[in-house]
Amino acid sequence: MKRFLYLILILMAGSACKEVFEAPPQAFLQVSFLNSSTNNPIFPSTTVWGIGLENLWVKDSVLHEILLPLSANDSTNFLISFDSHIDTITFNHETIQKYASMESGFYFEYKLHSIDYTHNRIDSIHIIDSLITKKWNENIILYIHPLSVGNN
Amino acid sequence: MRILYYTFILCLLATISFGQAEQKKKVVPKRTDNYIRMTGIRVGMDVTRPFQDLWTKGNRYGSEFSLDMELWPNWFPVFESGYEFMKIKTSNIDFTGKGSYSRLGIDYNFLQAENKNDKDILFVGLRYGFALASQQVNQYQIDSYWGPITGRFGNQNFFAHWGEFLIGLKGEVFHNFYIGWTIRGKVKMNHTDFVLPSVYFIPGYGKAEKKFTLDFTYSVYYNIPWDFRKSLSDKKPDSKK
Repeated sequence: MKRFLYLILILMAGSACKEVFEAPPQAFLQVSFLNSSTNNPIFPSTTVWGIGLENLWVKDSVLHEILLPLSANDSTNFLISFDSHIDTITFNHETIQKYASMESGFYFEYKLHSIDYTHNRIDSIHIIDSLITKKWNENIILYIHPLSVGNN
Repeated sequence: MRILYYTFILCLLATISFGQAEQKKKVVPKRTDNYIRMTGIRVGMDVTRPFQDLWTKGNRYGSEFSLDMELWPNWFPVFESGYEFMKIKTSNIDFTGKGSYSRLGIDYNFLQAENKNDKDILFVGLRYGFALASQQVNQYQIDSYWGPITGRFGNQNFFAHWGEFLIGLKGEVFHNFYIGWTIRGKVKMNHTDFVLPSVYFIPGYGKAEKKFTLDFTYSVYYNIPWDFRKSLSDKKPDSKK
């Protein structure tokens, strides 16, 4: 009987630190930046924010790659500033709700259909992988015009 | 967990093959305790079910009762039935799963009795278990840069069934009062599933995503001292009249 009580006490002690629940995974659109003239990686000073939102996603960061969060709607709109030249990008996609577990919850994955964009700094966009899942991989390559000497 | 699953399957196969080998040799010693020791029906309650919350993730509670009797010497048909409830509430999800389950099976005692009053048993058993249950996601939230998305999934009813292999002990502590434990390996056979969300918790089994689970029970029993064989034999002369 004493052993049984000890077992209960050990289980009670163990239960004090058992309730750890992981957050659900997240799917991000991974974008790489390449120089449209040389096809080499380019590192512009980048600021990104969602149209209609006040919070910036990325602020003045020098990057070659970026992860973008898509919305639960059928399209997601971003303003992207490359070295203070602003472009608008619209990602048209399908949103698929996924189940992680009852401990962590649900998340979204996406299938990218098309991309609309302005051409201030963006030359073109190439879709590498249209499936945006919890396993992050390069989804699109964004070819950016190099800055002219006078703009540097 | 996959290692445990395969270990369990190997043990099962080894037991079956051992049994076959024994049959071939025909050297099984005859038992000297070939008599009914426990007359009546034994009613039990698993005292661990209300405290499962202590060692499982989420809030899991339940209750379980059992009935067994020594129908043939050393063979005990068993019926077990219970109810379990599980709740998980985090910032991302509010989940409730609940339902009743039952198991039918038989235990075989391989502990030789010293005399008719020796009612302690060491047994192995097999069970077929099934559950009728439901689950509901009262609310979920998906956090995002674009703002949180909330939603819910209504009540989903499902059926699940599984097999169990167990080993245990029951000892008489006072006249007609017993205590005992079992260790159970459970192998899932099948369950109803949904596109979204999947079945998470099967009452009486555990997490639905697992093909094999291990469980432990500790029960108290009372043997209702009703000798049905005697009652039947007493009735026979009456019926002739």
